[in-house]
Amino acid sequence: MIANEGDKLPPWTMDSVSPERMQTMAAILRDPNPVHWDRKSVAQLGLGERCINQGPLGVGYMVNMLQNWAGENCIKRMFIRFPNPIILDGDHIISKGVVTKIYQHQGFDMAEVETWLERDGERGLIEATVTLQLPRD
Amino acid sequence: MTEVISFEQVERAEGHIFPGGKYSIQHWENFLLTACTGADVMQDGVVHPIALFHVPILGSGTTIAEMFALGRADSDMSISIESYDWQLFNPLKEDTEYDIQGKITDVTRHNDKPGDTAPVYDRIVFDFEVHDDYSLVASSTVIWHYRREPI
Repeated sequence: MIANEGDKLPPWTMDSVSPERMQTMAAILRDPNPVHWDRKSVAQLGLGERCINQGPLGVGYMVNMLQNWAGENCIKRMFIRFPNPIILDGDHIISKGVVTKIYQHQGFDMAEVETWLERDGERGLIEATVTLQLPRD
Repeated sequence: MTEVISFEQVERAEGHIFPGGKYSIQHWENFLLTACTGADVMQDGVVHPIALFHVPILGSGTTIAEMFALGRADSDMSISIESYDWQLFNPLKEDTEYDIQGKITDVTRHNDKPGDTAPVYDRIVFDFEVHDDYSLVASSTVIWHYRREPI
């Protein structure tokens, strides 16, 4: 696989964040926080009657983009930050990324990628610095 | 400065070791987890990497609720996430029994000096390791902030 510093990854889009998926995720994570499945509890926080997406699902959108680009086992390290992680059901979210470094490690081609989620052009919901092992041609 | 829970009470959590344990990711769990992200399940039983959010916690014998309690959280809403740092040395696979260990490695207080205007919070670092029969498969360092409300 040929990649260069400055390359933009093909974006990955979640057209509409689904409250049903949040409910399933809450059960898998054993996360009892009602903000992920009870819209009324979110309304009490002043965010309207919309559930708050789990951070792991937002990171999942990033992972899907990375794996579509460089293969299923490409992720070797992922440092994830959550500057403003409030994503609500119905939101349209785009995962984007750019290659910041290309290098070799133990005979493998590696890439460092900065990735983030955007909503209506707003960046900085969730961000990550990722080390990828690139597939051989 | 307004009084909040003492740092000595929170700092006791440093060095806490979770019981540890075994965890196998079943196909149904990986299928649903992956579907929730909007993707199709991967080939050859490879697990979606976001399993690293919950597998280390549950596998090491703790829960999100216990992690909140160990840090003396004022409420669920007082917790914010600084970062997760994952290293994947091998892909996680379905139906593989992993041995998982975890502990609290650092507890520090912030914004508690005279003149600080931002809310006081405690920064707690959790380290987890996921092993198969042969080697370290993955690690996860979780850093949460516990914002302190006046007592």
